[in-house]
Amino acid sequence: MRKITFGIGGVHPDDAKISRGCAIEILPLPETVYVSMAQHLGAPANPVVAVGDSVKVGQVIAEPAGFISAFVHSPVSGTVKSIAPRKDMMGNNVMHVEIAVEGDEWAEGIDLSSTLVKEIPSDRAAILDRIKACGIVGLGGATFPTHVKLNPGPDAHPECLIVNGAECEPYLTSDFRIMVERPAEIVVGAAIMKKVLGDCRCVIGIEENKPEAISSISKAVAELGYEGIEVVKLKKKYPQGGEKQLIDAVMKRQVASGGLPISVGAVVQNVATALAVYEAVQKNKPLISNVLTVTGDCLPADRQHNYLYRIGIPLSYIAQYAGGVPKDAAKLVSGGPMMGRSIVNLDATTVKGSSSILYLSQKATKRHAPESCIRCGRCADACPMGLEPFHLYRLAKAGDMEQLEANSVQDCISCGCCQYSCPGFLPLLDNINIAKGKVLGIIKARK
Amino acid sequence: MDKYLVSQNPHVHANVSSCSLMGDVVVALLPAIVVSVLFYGWAELLVLAVAALGCILIEWAITRFLMKKPGPYCGSAALVTGLLLAMNLPPTTPWWVVLVGSLVAIGVAKMSFGGLGQNIFNPAITGRVFLLISFPTYMTDWTITPGFIHTDAVSGATLLGVFNEGGVAALPENLDFGRMLFLNMGGSAGELSAIALLLGFVYLCVRKVIKPWITLSIFATIALVSGIFWMVDSTTFTGPLFNLLTGGVILGACFMATDYVTSPMSAWGGVIFGFGIGFIVMMIRYFGSYPEGMSFAILIMNIFVPLIDRAFHQKKFGRA
Amino acid sequence: MTHTIVWTILILAGLGLLLSLALFWIARKFKVEEDPRIDEIEKVMPGANCGGCGFAGCRAFADAAVKAPNLDNNYCPVGGNDVMKKVAAILGYEVKEKAPMVAVVRCNGTCEARPRTSVYDGDSSCRIKASLYSGDTACPFGCLGCGDCAAACQFGALTMDPATGLPVVDQEKCTACGACVKACPKGVMELRAKGPRNMRVYVSCINKDKGAVARKACLSACIGCGKCQKVCAQDAITVENNLAYIDFSKCKLCKKCVAECPTGAIHAVNFPVLPPKKTADAPAAEKKEDNNA
Repeated sequence: MRKITFGIGGVHPDDAKISRGCAIEILPLPETVYVSMAQHLGAPANPVVAVGDSVKVGQVIAEPAGFISAFVHSPVSGTVKSIAPRKDMMGNNVMHVEIAVEGDEWAEGIDLSSTLVKEIPSDRAAILDRIKACGIVGLGGATFPTHVKLNPGPDAHPECLIVNGAECEPYLTSDFRIMVERPAEIVVGAAIMKKVLGDCRCVIGIEENKPEAISSISKAVAELGYEGIEVVKLKKKYPQGGEKQLIDAVMKRQVASGGLPISVGAVVQNVATALAVYEAVQKNKPLISNVLTVTGDCLPADRQHNYLYRIGIPLSYIAQYAGGVPKDAAKLVSGGPMMGRSIVNLDATTVKGSSSILYLSQKATKRHAPESCIRCGRCADACPMGLEPFHLYRLAKAGDMEQLEANSVQDCISCGCCQYSCPGFLPLLDNINIAKGKVLGIIKARK
Repeated sequence: MDKYLVSQNPHVHANVSSCSLMGDVVVALLPAIVVSVLFYGWAELLVLAVAALGCILIEWAITRFLMKKPGPYCGSAALVTGLLLAMNLPPTTPWWVVLVGSLVAIGVAKMSFGGLGQNIFNPAITGRVFLLISFPTYMTDWTITPGFIHTDAVSGATLLGVFNEGGVAALPENLDFGRMLFLNMGGSAGELSAIALLLGFVYLCVRKVIKPWITLSIFATIALVSGIFWMVDSTTFTGPLFNLLTGGVILGACFMATDYVTSPMSAWGGVIFGFGIGFIVMMIRYFGSYPEGMSFAILIMNIFVPLIDRAFHQKKFGRA
Repeated sequence: MTHTIVWTILILAGLGLLLSLALFWIARKFKVEEDPRIDEIEKVMPGANCGGCGFAGCRAFADAAVKAPNLDNNYCPVGGNDVMKKVAAILGYEVKEKAPMVAVVRCNGTCEARPRTSVYDGDSSCRIKASLYSGDTACPFGCLGCGDCAAACQFGALTMDPATGLPVVDQEKCTACGACVKACPKGVMELRAKGPRNMRVYVSCINKDKGAVARKACLSACIGCGKCQKVCAQDAITVENNLAYIDFSKCKLCKKCVAECPTGAIHAVNFPVLPPKKTADAPAAEKKEDNNA
């Protein structure tokens, strides 16, 4: 199979997929769950249950509060104890619904069997409604509501659905495990999305360091026999799974600055989203669970896990269940080490897009004291957007918004390649991110 | 809850530091250093040691006492400067002249601009040029000092010096370029063995410490310019092979012009930079009063680096 | 030899004369007519070009002042009433005197009072830290301690105290230009009236969490108990969102609230030192010294 990749920049961090051999385990439920109302990009959902209500698994507990927003369903059966602000992973207050767990009773109409349903409903609008009603959001990291992305409007011409199985972040193995363990469902999910997009081409892209996933997905594609779905092998290079990079790799088209993928006819969805779409459309099962990796360089190999978790479970509970936080963990990260976020508050709960608890040791993660720029140009070589981070860094420090915009700071995808490769240990992305935020604000205000 | 670290992504680093990059350069210089020490003996070793230690100590002292920067100090960048300076000097250079060169290289060319990453001119070359102008007799004394391996070399004058004095006619007939590739008779440590220097250059490229564009552009330009002149009049002008293998071309092109701080960052910028160096070198060699012009060429092109960097940028993603 | 010198002098002198004539002519020809009062005002301005008035610099302020129908919207906080009187005299306008202001730090969560819950490992900048998370203490409102305010201050009036982790205002140097207020991503800095003989009373906290939560995060947080509001005879104190605020235009500096505050969140500064009466007053007296330092 031919290997493809994106054109500009990229880095090759050690992939450290230590937990690749760990089969997905089902995480038991705690006594109480706290379901966040801000589990997706866009406006937080509005709770529709009251304190004292009893809820079943899969019952709607919050409704979308705007066009870009999503339903939230109860991940457990039990009684609503409170609806109050609670600190999220970053220590900011977010509305949470607290539910005391009683049994595991599912709402009616949800198919809990494991039989594969291959036939795809023919009504496009009905599929979209189902995806919306089941609260599906993009599970690749951005948690953008899927029904919005799959409905790009009448003027758009989707040509290619790219299903993202790159999982280019080091350590993470949740996507890898579902590709190995549930390939058929993913392929059906991809076929459903392909249908919604008007039967365009569909490409499932998987990085070369996951040969088992490539073979299992290829086998499922061959066995299921949907037309127009192909599997491509991607080169192992970070950020291969970045939306714009993946489109460049697969379609050889570059999304223009400020443009959306649909402008070049592409729609990118993660493999985990494909699985969620399958469950929503074929099984009527809302998005209340996902797979998360517990891993890290300071976690012994026999204590690494891939869990099927429900949303609303405190991270501290998962850490305890997995044997406690290792002693030499210096930093806790949710997501991959390149783009994930530090966990500030371990009492925060899982959300739809949680993909990992990553324990990094002092040695792996502690930043060195910044030195000076030696003009080696490694950041510019690494930048997948072709920017010049050393220059943007200097401009950001000086606060020169005009020049920052002229040098395309707004194109930055915050992938971290520049800071990863800087031999002077300069906090490039720290400063560029702030500048990007300001420039995007200026651009927005101008419109 | 224990206190954990919190920061913006990325949470990991490639663990390549300025210090380790410069360490790689030192490793790349080793083959040439070994050859020169074998060939020139204790005298060469003394020059190398004085320059290396001098540069490190001067930089350390300035960093600690004048700039008052606390924290660990990494001397590998100063070590590279010191070694490069030493490799540009004749083995007979007195130790105090080497020390003056180190002081100019580190103190004037590097630290007075603000230290690592801030200097405009290549420190080692600045030091060397300062010595060349201040102590011309020491700097052109090519007496061959006794080495550790036996050689039959007697002549002290460099081929470029001979050409500068007497033109092509004065040069020995039937120059053995194959032998020159391995061991050049006469010249400083950095002019001695082309193959040892090229070995280091390949190492740097393989380790991705530097990109080859600047070096290749210099070689190509020198070959092109001297080729044209040579074809026009081979009795007045020396040929491409002669010009590539003599003098400081290989040392300069592989190790000095590729210095991060004083070279352009983009590939095309590097090509232009290399072209400028190659062209100026050939003009000085053919028409200048000095026999060799590599140092001057690099210094002159150093001035244009900010301009070149302004003109050449990376291709941006998604922008026409 | 002598010829060369003579010629050189002659040529250079001639060139100089010619070019100065050309310059003179150009200056005449392309002169921009400007209100001369702009220059006059600029001369009496402090010349800090700090932007505290809302304009790009002192000249921009002068330009705006000349064009404005009155001086209600143009006030130089750095120069204060003295400068504004001169400006008004030049323009023939009335000037409304404003009480001199000073920056105050509305957070007293020192390292002891507000234990750290995480270790920030990013670039030392409050703005970056604030964009990332709520801060390295349990209080999501308070000072982040990276010194963006001190970096923004052109007058050297703000320094970070390494012992407390908080900024300290030098009231002699502070010109109330407001740069720190703009620089602080948390809104910790506030411009308040300097007060008679520099005496002022203010709530040094902006924590809006419920009392118990605030207290847990920081020992010296305002817990919104309302005791100060009850004791205030001037009706100067309002408690909103679990946070007390003292309106400096109403406060009569009686300091009753200071004594009443259970957490010591209300600071009184620059009051003459009285012999300590009871132990309850002691924390307030200590606080005062902190701020004078």
